Amino acid sequence: MIELGRVCIKTAGRDASKKCVIIDILDDKYVLIDGETRRRKCNILHIEPLNQVIKIEKNASHEEVAKALEELGLKARETKPKPKTEKPRKKRKTPEQLRVQKEEKRKLRDLFKFKKEEKAEEKKEATLEEKAGLVEEKKEEVKEIAEKKTAKKETKTQKPKKTDKKKEG
Amino acid sequence: MPAPRLRSRSLRKVFRKVSGGRVSLHYKKKKPKAARCGNCGALLKGIPRELPFRMRSMAKTKKRPERPYGGVLCSKCMRKEIINKVRQ
Repeated sequence: MIELGRVCIKTAGRDASKKCVIIDILDDKYVLIDGETRRRKCNILHIEPLNQVIKIEKNASHEEVAKALEELGLKARETKPKPKTEKPRKKRKTPEQLRVQKEEKRKLRDLFKFKKEEKAEEKKEATLEEKAGLVEEKKEEVKEIAEKKTAKKETKTQKPKKTDKKKEG
Repeated sequence: MPAPRLRSRSLRKVFRKVSGGRVSLHYKKKKPKAARCGNCGALLKGIPRELPFRMRSMAKTKKRPERPYGGVLCSKCMRKEIINKVRQ
């Protein structure tokens, strides 16, 4: 039953229930098939031979098989040719382009830096001023406190005198 | 005593070892039954046993074998049927 040009039906795998033709006998187990299925090596056990035989050469091309199958009213499997898409190749940049790129980068970097510095400076100035003001205030406060203290001391010193006077009185 | 809604047998109990060495009881939804062949009733291979919401998010090729009657008949029954059709 298994011979060249024998029309078979596949009974296993994703091509099951599709018709094919034996093109080549590779082994006592394996044959090469083509037709509605993919062109591939196949186990004999995964094929059910039919009662039709086509005249076909050994290792016939897919087109020849397709022509032969057309007479039987079968359509061979057609794979869509993949559209060739070229990979975008990376081109090396010329020194001029590199220079431009560097300048742009530097501009960006400067922009960010400038902003940050401004903010920092403002803050610093403010803090410094505040600090200065605080320091001055503090100094004033210290002075005031010192004055108060001296005044208090004076009062304190005065008060006992009064008391003394009272006591004396 | 578990909460009243967890006392039904529609949920399955899972003992989980929790961090801290404690073993706690978790309640999980039961999985559906495994798919079977429409002809002989054998368990079908290559079909995940997952909840419907998980099956919905899966690719079509992951849910059944890619052959005629894939996910309906087992491979043996499919082969028999094809051969029977051819030989008639």
